Amino acid sequence: MNAILKNPLALAGLIIIGIISIMAIFAPWIAPFDPDVINVKNILLSPSATHLMGTDGLGRDVYSRMLFGARISLLVGIVAVGIATIIGIVLGAVAGFYRGWVDTVIMRLVDVMLSIPTFFLILAVIAFLTPSIWNIMIVIGLTSWMGVTRLVRAEFLSLRNREFVLASQTLGAKDSRLIFKQLLPNSLTPIIVSSVLGIASAVLVESGLSFLGLGVQAPQASWGNILTDGKEYIEFAWWLSMFPGLAILITVMGYNLLGEGLRDALDPRTSNNK
Amino acid sequence: MLKYLLNRLVWMVPLLVGISLVSFLIMHLAPGDITSTEASFNPKTSEESRQKLRELYNLDKPVIVQYGLWLKRMSTLDFGHSFASHQSPVFWQETDKEGNVNKGMIQEALPITLLINVLSLGLIIAIALPLGVISALTQNKLPDRSITIFVFIGFAIPSFWLALMLMYWTGVSHNWLPISGLHSLGAEKLSSFAQLLDTLKHLTLPILISGLTGLAGISLFVRNGMLDVLHQDYITTARAKGLPENTVVYKHALRNALLPLITIFGLSIPGLIGGSVIAESIFAIPGMGKLFYDAVLMRDFPVIMGILTIGSALTLIGNLLADLAYAWADPRVRKGVAQ
Repeated sequence: MNAILKNPLALAGLIIIGIISIMAIFAPWIAPFDPDVINVKNILLSPSATHLMGTDGLGRDVYSRMLFGARISLLVGIVAVGIATIIGIVLGAVAGFYRGWVDTVIMRLVDVMLSIPTFFLILAVIAFLTPSIWNIMIVIGLTSWMGVTRLVRAEFLSLRNREFVLASQTLGAKDSRLIFKQLLPNSLTPIIVSSVLGIASAVLVESGLSFLGLGVQAPQASWGNILTDGKEYIEFAWWLSMFPGLAILITVMGYNLLGEGLRDALDPRTSNNK
Repeated sequence: MLKYLLNRLVWMVPLLVGISLVSFLIMHLAPGDITSTEASFNPKTSEESRQKLRELYNLDKPVIVQYGLWLKRMSTLDFGHSFASHQSPVFWQETDKEGNVNKGMIQEALPITLLINVLSLGLIIAIALPLGVISALTQNKLPDRSITIFVFIGFAIPSFWLALMLMYWTGVSHNWLPISGLHSLGAEKLSSFAQLLDTLKHLTLPILISGLTGLAGISLFVRNGMLDVLHQDYITTARAKGLPENTVVYKHALRNALLPLITIFGLSIPGLIGGSVIAESIFAIPGMGKLFYDAVLMRDFPVIMGILTIGSALTLIGNLLADLAYAWADPRVRKGVAQ
């Protein structure tokens, strides 16, 4: 923990993510207006003291919608990466521990999934399902586990023949004990780093899908679909496109900083020149 | 080299089979029958077109037979006809009974997307290479720090937001560049050179967007590659024998640092193809991404499946070309293969 706090990148990322998470969690109490209430008298007001980020084409308060949108972005990011990480750990552990034909099959599956352009794959699956926040999480999760799988497998392969693992195997430890007590805890650092970086890209994918109208559906607010409105009014309401874009940029940067910082802080090998 | 090529080609077969299996599974993800009304809120899906869909994918046969038939059709690149768009052939042109030629949808869209991607790759190389080298040579000093900040922003910036901002700035408020489509109104009356210029103007923003969003990764990659190489013994040797610093950096270090870049470009192809959805749908460019997006909105299944398969095949071909280029550029790989 100390190492993390001493690393400027990780600390900056942690602060950014912390602030955004607090705003997301307490959105119902912080938001000055109801995010979904339409007010035709207040259409497209520019930012002011009452409406910090102005109002949209239906007169809704953009700041309140941004706060509720933060919940969506963070939730989708974390759940999607959770799904991907669990799949990745299971497949990577099986491949790296048992090797042989299981390993070959899993690694070929990874190659296949990596050959299909990811965004096409996600859109194709969504075309066959109804777009909803839960489907988005599952789809992003199911299409982004390949990196973790490769990572866990590589860690397991390199740890598998270390003395401490061989020693406990010789002492009669079962496979499950070796995997969960010895190999997995020693592979955690890269898994955590890749999960944090994974949240960043999941946030980007979710907002992109919502922007295209295939993600979170109106009236539920998400940063991506606020931007869709922003595109409609780009000629007269800059605030509608400016704030959601900045919010996505800052959030994604926060996770990237945290991820890179953690990599530096937790892994002495990369801290010198990369 | 020939043996290497054959080896790689043989490797592609199980991958292609896998890709076909994944696409086939996606098609069967739909709740119930993909022809059910639940799965198609597109009002154009009439009973007639549903019947066509059933015939196209042999939905009345057992699943394993369906897959076999789908694989067989795919191997002849027959993806059927679009539902939404006047029964156009999905992949390649066909001549009908009256001798009219119907252009294939992918046939028309693919060159546009390839052109945008090739030009934006050029842009990436032209900017990312110097940035990466400067960053490595000034490690931890001011230029490196500023470039690193730029890289972090580049990784985090949503491409669609950047597109909107550039569209607003250059198109709406300054009216410098067109922001939609491939041609201006009445462009067909212009001379062919003016038409070309007009198209290039329309492509400027999409190329900028896909180039700018790809920059960060490549410049970071060049920086780290240069740093790795600069710490190698042969660089110390080159310096020790008194070679000028420029020769050491550009002839000995840079060349070696650039080698892995070939692979990175190969690996970035699926991202570029997939990323074309956003840029093309914002700027209304009729390429693969826009075609795919429209197909998803209309639930035009033959087009979705066709693009998914062709997009994956392009990725495989791109990776193959990258590996061949690597083997050609790196004598260690080339000689290793010959043994």
